[in-house]
Amino acid sequence: MTSKFSSVFLAATLAFATLLAGCSKAPTEADLNLATAKAKADQCVEPEDVIRTKHMDLLMHQRDATMIEGIRTKQHSLKECINCHVSTTKQDGTPLHYGDKEHFCTTCHAAVGQKIDCFQCHADRPQIDQDPNYQHTVGSAAGHHFTQGVTAALAPTAAEVQMVTQPQQGAAK
Amino acid sequence: MNQNRVDEYRRNFMTTLGGVAAVAAVAPSFVLQTAHAAGEVAAKPIDQAVTNAKRWGMLIDVTKLTDGGAGMVAACKKEHGWGDEAHSADTQKAHWARVVKVTDKLTQNSFSLPVMCQHCENPPCVDVCPTGASMKRADGIVQVNKHICIGCRYCMMACPYKARSFVHETLQDQKPHSPRGMGTVESCNMCVHRIDEGKLPACVEAAPDAVIFGDLNDPNSAVSQAMKTIGGKQIRADLGLNTGVRYHGI
Repeated sequence: MTSKFSSVFLAATLAFATLLAGCSKAPTEADLNLATAKAKADQCVEPEDVIRTKHMDLLMHQRDATMIEGIRTKQHSLKECINCHVSTTKQDGTPLHYGDKEHFCTTCHAAVGQKIDCFQCHADRPQIDQDPNYQHTVGSAAGHHFTQGVTAALAPTAAEVQMVTQPQQGAAK
Repeated sequence: MNQNRVDEYRRNFMTTLGGVAAVAAVAPSFVLQTAHAAGEVAAKPIDQAVTNAKRWGMLIDVTKLTDGGAGMVAACKKEHGWGDEAHSADTQKAHWARVVKVTDKLTQNSFSLPVMCQHCENPPCVDVCPTGASMKRADGIVQVNKHICIGCRYCMMACPYKARSFVHETLQDQKPHSPRGMGTVESCNMCVHRIDEGKLPACVEAAPDAVIFGDLNDPNSAVSQAMKTIGGKQIRADLGLNTGVRYHGI
């Protein structure tokens, strides 16, 4: 009886340990195909802190401008995010899709538990055969990123300076 | 009752054909000459909104479509990546554009024409949409804003041209320039991404001798001039929708 119990206990422990081992094998940077994204981190269309916190707002704004008004600037275009940051294949050569841990968008969204539906409709990887400027370098013929320029975007406008330096009306009372 | 109304429509539709054919016999050379240009599109600056200064439209000369429009439909499939939905029944398949064969019951005279979204000036699909997803852009292009489409399919019911279809299955590897996905309605958008770049719609490019594309608001554009000379028939003109896609030879 005791031996039977201990064997069951042993098996359960082993199974649990295996489970733990499986859990602890979180994807390391070596697993993730982030080379492209990392190499371009300082070339992004906005400073890193801005793009991390505001990319969803920028994309949402761009989406309506494009859809309704036909404004197709590329600086905040989802298509260009994908084109620049996402590889077409996994490291083993199979197609890379949103949901795979190597996908540029998934790497963060999985960690923060974010569920998005962009890729139910939008292409989640670039199409090399149709885009000669696939993963182009900044400053290439397709150098679209800096129509306004990162440096220009960093500098606060006069109105923003005024907002910061002058207390808002009613706030001091 | 409904069947009778359809038959009545067909009769009227077919009785007008004789008159059109007569015109076609008189002035076919005009289309031949102008159609080589196949229309013109001026690229607008990408950072500016479209305006109602232009209204895009096209004139399709059915008599010059040797394949009845199948080539145009194939070009549309290739451009937007529809038509190979694996898990949908035939009745559920996407049809941004389709070839419709028309036969006169009396004379057995028949011809085919490509039918897609007719880009009405007064689109019924926009009237009925509960969310505003079915929309007409300032330059006359009627399209679905899939971001806010809830998939109710009211617009599919409202469209007299059967131009809209519904995506029934999960899709992958869509074209980057043409997003489409399950639960939304889709239709011809006149290749809006190409027009904004200053290119012609894919179907127009596929049939340069038969289709003239251009600005209907500009009386001097090739499409306006061609319509002035040989006329451009609307399908179901009786509905008063003022379609942007016109036909010659129907």
